[in-house]
Amino acid sequence: MKYHSKNKLHFLPKRTFIVIGALLLAVGLMSFGLTRKHDGEKITVVKDSIGSVAAFKQVYKVLQSPRCMNCHPSGDIPLQGDDSHLHTMSPHRGPDGMGMYAMKCSNCHQPTNTPGLHTPPGNPKWHLPPADMKMVFQGRTAHQLAKQIMDPNRNGHKNMQQLIAHASDTLVKSGWHPGEGRTLPPMSYAAFKKAWITWLTKGAYAPPGK
Amino acid sequence: MAIEQISRRSFIKTTGTAGLALWLGLSAKGSTRKTTNIATAKNFSPFILVEYNGSITIYNIKPEIGQGTFQSVPAVIAEEFEVSLNQVTIKNTSGEPEFGNGQSAGGSSSIRNGYNEYRKIGAAARIVFIAAAAGRWQVSPDNCYAENGKVFNKATNQSFTYSELVEDAAKINLPKEPKLKDPKDFKIIGKMSHRPDIPLKTCGKAQFGIDVQVPGMVYASVERCPVLGGILKSFDASEALKMPGVLKVVKAERIIGNYRYTGVAVIANSFWATLQARKKLKIDWDYDGYDNFNSEDYEEHLRKLADEDGLVDKNIGDITKVNVSPQNSVEAFYETPVVAHSPMEPMNAVARVQGDKLEIWTSTQVPGSIMGTGANALPRSTGFLPENVKMHNMFVGGGFGRRLSVDYIIEAVNIAKQYDKPVKLIWSREDTTQLGPFRPMTFSKLSGGFSDDGKLVTFTHKVISPSLSESRRPDFDKTKVDGSMVEGIGDQDYQIPNIKTSYVRADYHVPIGPWRSVTSSTLSFAHECFIDELAHKAGKDPLDFRMSLLAPDSDTAKIFQKLREVSNWDQPLGNRRGRGVGQWKFFAGQCAQAVEVTHKADGTIKVDKVYAVIDLGVAVNPDNVANQTEGAVVMALTAATKPAITWKQGKVMQHNFYDNTMIRINEVPEVEVHILTGEGKIKGVGEPGLPPFAPALANAIFAATRKRIRKMPFELKA
Amino acid sequence: MITLNINQKDYQVDADPDMPLLWAIRDIVGLTGTKFGCGVAQCGACVVHLNGEAVRSCVTKVGRAAGQKIVTIEGLSQNNDHPLQVAWNEENVPQCGYCHSGQIMSAAVLLRENSNPTDEDIDMAMSGNICRCGTYLRIRKAIHLAAEMQRKVSSSK
Repeated sequence: MKYHSKNKLHFLPKRTFIVIGALLLAVGLMSFGLTRKHDGEKITVVKDSIGSVAAFKQVYKVLQSPRCMNCHPSGDIPLQGDDSHLHTMSPHRGPDGMGMYAMKCSNCHQPTNTPGLHTPPGNPKWHLPPADMKMVFQGRTAHQLAKQIMDPNRNGHKNMQQLIAHASDTLVKSGWHPGEGRTLPPMSYAAFKKAWITWLTKGAYAPPGK
Repeated sequence: MAIEQISRRSFIKTTGTAGLALWLGLSAKGSTRKTTNIATAKNFSPFILVEYNGSITIYNIKPEIGQGTFQSVPAVIAEEFEVSLNQVTIKNTSGEPEFGNGQSAGGSSSIRNGYNEYRKIGAAARIVFIAAAAGRWQVSPDNCYAENGKVFNKATNQSFTYSELVEDAAKINLPKEPKLKDPKDFKIIGKMSHRPDIPLKTCGKAQFGIDVQVPGMVYASVERCPVLGGILKSFDASEALKMPGVLKVVKAERIIGNYRYTGVAVIANSFWATLQARKKLKIDWDYDGYDNFNSEDYEEHLRKLADEDGLVDKNIGDITKVNVSPQNSVEAFYETPVVAHSPMEPMNAVARVQGDKLEIWTSTQVPGSIMGTGANALPRSTGFLPENVKMHNMFVGGGFGRRLSVDYIIEAVNIAKQYDKPVKLIWSREDTTQLGPFRPMTFSKLSGGFSDDGKLVTFTHKVISPSLSESRRPDFDKTKVDGSMVEGIGDQDYQIPNIKTSYVRADYHVPIGPWRSVTSSTLSFAHECFIDELAHKAGKDPLDFRMSLLAPDSDTAKIFQKLREVSNWDQPLGNRRGRGVGQWKFFAGQCAQAVEVTHKADGTIKVDKVYAVIDLGVAVNPDNVANQTEGAVVMALTAATKPAITWKQGKVMQHNFYDNTMIRINEVPEVEVHILTGEGKIKGVGEPGLPPFAPALANAIFAATRKRIRKMPFELKA
Repeated sequence: MITLNINQKDYQVDADPDMPLLWAIRDIVGLTGTKFGCGVAQCGACVVHLNGEAVRSCVTKVGRAAGQKIVTIEGLSQNNDHPLQVAWNEENVPQCGYCHSGQIMSAAVLLRENSNPTDEDIDMAMSGNICRCGTYLRIRKAIHLAAEMQRKVSSSK
């Protein structure tokens, strides 16, 4: 999987979805309703619970991969490596997710990956979710995680449009550019983004379960 | 040893010091003689230099590797000489022949072996200066006293500084057996003092070997066979030579103990450039079969060797004549790992070769042997005459036994021979982790038997391991027990009527070497955990059981008594908590520890507190003793619970601090150190804090969880 | 040529912008108080302040530091008298001393941001710095002492 730094966002919904079943939509997606993209385009949700759940199962595999989960830990210390062990030097999240004191993320994590095996991967925005919005992936079932992502009180106050945009976030994308020796998420970035948007635009259904 | 003095004008000229100076030191020959040429003063070790211009220098012949000799050695001399450490200049020696062959740091011996000699030289110097002043005043020396670098006339309160007395003092013979101070009058020894090297270490001014910069210097690093033991067949440096800053690529031989390895060195104008270019080397290695080597297979091999009788070390009583019924006997097998020393300062040396002359700047524990004349000493192994070698030993960024080996210095010299500028060789952290020498593993087979009335009557400890001496000494004799591999196991104070200790040597191709507290660091684990197993079998409290085996006036009993008191041993601990004890008596000294742990609800073990009692005879700087012992506990905790060094297909599987992990500040227990002084013989400081810890911890975990740990490293989990 | 401002002094450095700052500081500028320990941001021996933050110079490229404000252990105070340096001496913290430039530079950021750190704060700030000699208990003690000294100074102002 190659990382395209030119940000060719093939899967951003450039086309307008057809609005059907507006009533169902209003009931099913009260918290989102119709959202408006900054370029004025409308995101249209076509409810399809089977298609949505199927897409989320793909999404979930990625979110549970070390490349995503390691920075969405259940505790306040990030995880490391393909086995998602606790970060060996125990950096703490800190209130803003940028680390604490002498252990701020960017003290080691540079704007770009450091060359070599076992060196800090890099990104200009490297951080954890903030302390008041931990957005934990670790240990979450697919059901829990889908619900969490759709809950603005637990997803960083993101609406549908912002959730869609989040797939293009530089830090999210850096999961597919993890530095030497680290495994990639279980599907391509393009496939992930497609599944993400499919899940959202087909009604953001959570897979059944607890 | 007797005392000798040197008064020498010609030497002073060459050192650029103004005026007359007096060297005072020890002679190995037992004579007090005078000479005008220090270079020809054989077997003479000067420790004090008093110059006419007012300066007083005390020479520390024990490399400062963190253990505090930069203060402790001069402190003992200064105490008797009646100078304060603030008014003297302290200089580390660098293997100069005139400073003798005691120039090494190892075996916790700096004070243990040197204390009485340092006192003697300080006292002799004081007596001479007092006599000199008495002569000037025409009074009896009894009417004078020395203090703060001056001699005072008791009657008139007049004084001379030592410097003012140099010329007179040079004419007075040193007493052979100088009268030492009464310890109750000590002003420095036994008091908390600040170490004079510490201010240099808080502002970046302390120069370690890696910090040395020599004009014109270039850098080198070496690509070595990833399979230890592999042989260099050929290499292609064409791509590496195209890299920016690269100057030359050469072969580099490293000699370590009885092993020789050849790697490929990149010489460049920065260390970073050497690292980049190393990746571009194309090297053809012959693994020579060593790529079949796996730690797991080797461990299995050691387990099988445990069935062999081995060579007998100690045989007390007669184990074969005692009948112990099976229900009264206990057997156990213990395993320990290979570990690396991992000092924070990676291996490094600067070498400058000019014709047949060699100059070295480095950090080593053994400047004496670098300058020595022996077969294993650096001059001979690199082809230089000892008198053509000059070295500068810097502050040492951690030794722990790693810098008893001079392989990295030999390697630097061999590279520098092939380049016309001084070369600074630096090992990467990966090099420093993977190339050895390593602490060897020891496996232990133990048994103990009780009589029908409950007395421990038999005890055996068989060690199965590779041999340190075989790895390091060319004259090793396989038919004899390598004493360093059975270190301490036959020498504990426990009185058991029938004891047999033995050793089964295993072939090994990995270079091994002493690691802080040497083999005691692994054997104590097996030995003292097994004593706990015996206590459990006997249904006794582990400390009571140990005391029942000890003569009340033994050092171990005294140490345990103190430990019992300071650790509140007899106060029960709360639920899910446990307490364990361990001790070890060996060449370096003696310490006992009690460890308290909590078995947390999530299954993890928290090491709460460690009580250490170290038996010393004398503590020159008690606060430094405490620091050393606290550090020993931390190092022992790393060795007991963090991953070991392992091999797969001939390659070391650990690389850097991410997989060769160390205890960090968030993992340290509280440590309380108590020092026993005042009587008994002088014992060492640096190492004795390690061996008791791992068994005390494992025994504490047993007390808290009933889970017996017989293999290191172990996880803090139950 | 890259300009590095180290301890309030500009240095013109002829180096590849990808070279780690550590080697520029040590081998080119010649300030050797900052140490090489691991080369992969694991041990903290190489910590310097970059615009006040405790960055690891072994993975910080010279290019990132160009024109920025760099402070090394040599520039932490004029006379070895930063409260941490005083406390380090008072508590006899170092043994071999090799890691302590980095330890002190890390602790300095902690003290700037938290004038009264708890043991837990100290662990959070200092768990990136390895000391093989094991002086951690003294590091903790010295940070408490330095914090106390610093508070006394600021309350008397």
